[in-house]
Amino acid sequence: MSANKILIVDDEEIIVRLLSMSLRSDGYETFAAYSGEQGLEVFKSESPDIVVTDIKMPGMDGLELLKKIKEIDAEKEVIIVTGHGDIDSTITALQYGASDFINKPVRDEALAIALERAKAKIDIREKLKEYTENLEFKIAEATEDIRRKSNFQQLLIRSSNDAIVAFNHDWKVVVYNPEAARMFGEVAKDVRNKMTIDKLYTPKIAKIFKNQAKKGKQQNTLPWRENIINTKDGRQIPVRYNSNVLHEKGDFVGTVSFFQDLTEIKRLETELVQSERLAAVGQTVSGLAHYVKNILIGLQGGSYVVDVGIANNNTEKLKTGWKTIKRNIKRIGDLTKDLLTYSKQREPEFEACLPNDIVNDVIELVADVAGSNGVLISKEFDNSIGEVMADSQTIHRSLLNLINNAIDACVEDENISKKHKIKVKTFMDKNNYFCFEVKDNGCGMDKDTQKRLFDPMFSSKGGKGTGLGLLVTSKLIEEHNGVIEIKTSLGDGSTFTIKLPYEKAN
Amino acid sequence: MNKKVLVVDDDQDVRSFVVTVLEENQYIPLVAQDGIEGFEVIEKERPDLVILDVLMPRGSGIRLYRKLKTDENLNQIPIIMFTGIALRSFLKSQKALDEFKGGEIPMPDIYLEKPVEPEELVAAIKKKIG
Repeated sequence: MSANKILIVDDEEIIVRLLSMSLRSDGYETFAAYSGEQGLEVFKSESPDIVVTDIKMPGMDGLELLKKIKEIDAEKEVIIVTGHGDIDSTITALQYGASDFINKPVRDEALAIALERAKAKIDIREKLKEYTENLEFKIAEATEDIRRKSNFQQLLIRSSNDAIVAFNHDWKVVVYNPEAARMFGEVAKDVRNKMTIDKLYTPKIAKIFKNQAKKGKQQNTLPWRENIINTKDGRQIPVRYNSNVLHEKGDFVGTVSFFQDLTEIKRLETELVQSERLAAVGQTVSGLAHYVKNILIGLQGGSYVVDVGIANNNTEKLKTGWKTIKRNIKRIGDLTKDLLTYSKQREPEFEACLPNDIVNDVIELVADVAGSNGVLISKEFDNSIGEVMADSQTIHRSLLNLINNAIDACVEDENISKKHKIKVKTFMDKNNYFCFEVKDNGCGMDKDTQKRLFDPMFSSKGGKGTGLGLLVTSKLIEEHNGVIEIKTSLGDGSTFTIKLPYEKAN
Repeated sequence: MNKKVLVVDDDQDVRSFVVTVLEENQYIPLVAQDGIEGFEVIEKERPDLVILDVLMPRGSGIRLYRKLKTDENLNQIPIIMFTGIALRSFLKSQKALDEFKGGEIPMPDIYLEKPVEPEELVAAIKKKIG
């Protein structure tokens, strides 16, 4: 903004008019007053930027006007028009804060220069003012911004679901948010700026952090890892945490670490496992009901046949009926055993045993059933296997399951022109496993059956299977740190291979 | 003359039960282990009634049932379905097969869900062939 309004005060009207004319032609807006009093009034109503006043006037003189104007607004530029040699008045005017002096008679050039100087002063002052105001505003803005940011960060730290703990370079706690207080059980006022890392953390975690800081810049951030922390009241909480080493201009200034409470997650995980098990139990129950019903049918039929045998004194019937009953009692026994194996964790019982001998035992057990169904069982042994440390029960049950399945696959096969065979093979594989292979040329499996093979209670044998056999087998093999592999092709047969870690018995 | 009743079931426990029931009630029992063997016996022996399991290896009861019902010479032999499968599931499978193969196969004369008391089985047989 440039100063443009000028008030001219002089008791000589002609001078006022001349000056006004001259200034207006220079582009100023002028106001005229013919006495000190009138000058003050116009000053108040028009608020000119610059006042040019004669010093000698009747009534309120120039000095008086100057004084009054400066009282109202100290920053107004007042140019005093004096007579020659009027030193005293000039000094007084200076004391009152006049900005410039022009001698009478007023020459246009002198006035123009004085005005330019006044305007320049006003300009500078305005710029300075603007600058100062701006600066104040900027400082206020920046302060507010910092406050906001700091508040925001405080809030962020306070409301974080992660426990946030920061240490300074002396390993003293400087940041400790409410979640941290909840997790560690220590109240903030006892911790912040008081406690050190060794007091708050378990020695193991504290050591990890300190080592990390020592490593310097190459390990600024630790990946998330899991651990257990001890709370003040002695509880142990599973946590996931990471930490960052803080550097400022290359110097170590502290660390900040984030902890996540895994209690809830762990609980949900357990719950999920349990609900999956329950769902499996649900499936189990309907599959089992069917299977148990078949056993019941067998038992009822058997006891009827026995009744008839007793009534007629018919030994043949008695034998038949009794066989049926015994067979079904065995089915219940096997089912119970499978259920128990499936539902319980079991550690394998390692002992010295001969895998090839176990295969012989199992084949002997199933020989009758296989023979009566026209299935030929052959074997091929790797005699180098010898005596190993293994759970013979696991091997026995798994093989029995697989060979029984193989027999069923042969019996189920619709292609009766085939000569059905099962081959049981033992061998060592290159990864130091001793292996059993049960290969049949029965009906094989389609993709869908393969996919569901290890589903609880899934049976491809209608009501004749519990849907537990392979499940139990794979569980036993897993507990033995072994693997079970399947190759099958619909219509061509299946090959099941069990691989167990080889450990020679002394 | 005593009447011949064929029982087709892969479960030997069921077979020996049904055979005993038949003997006790003066029927001549015939047995077959699966659908294929069952058909052979039917063609050869022409039984007066067939007691048929549904789920069997090598030619299921469903297949044998449809084969008999579409065979002009054999479709008059009464059939008792004797099975662990719920009637609802059986009917569903029949309906699906009807739609798939075209034409409609008559429903079985009698459908018995295991387990069945001997008296119940006898009553069912008597109802069909006396």
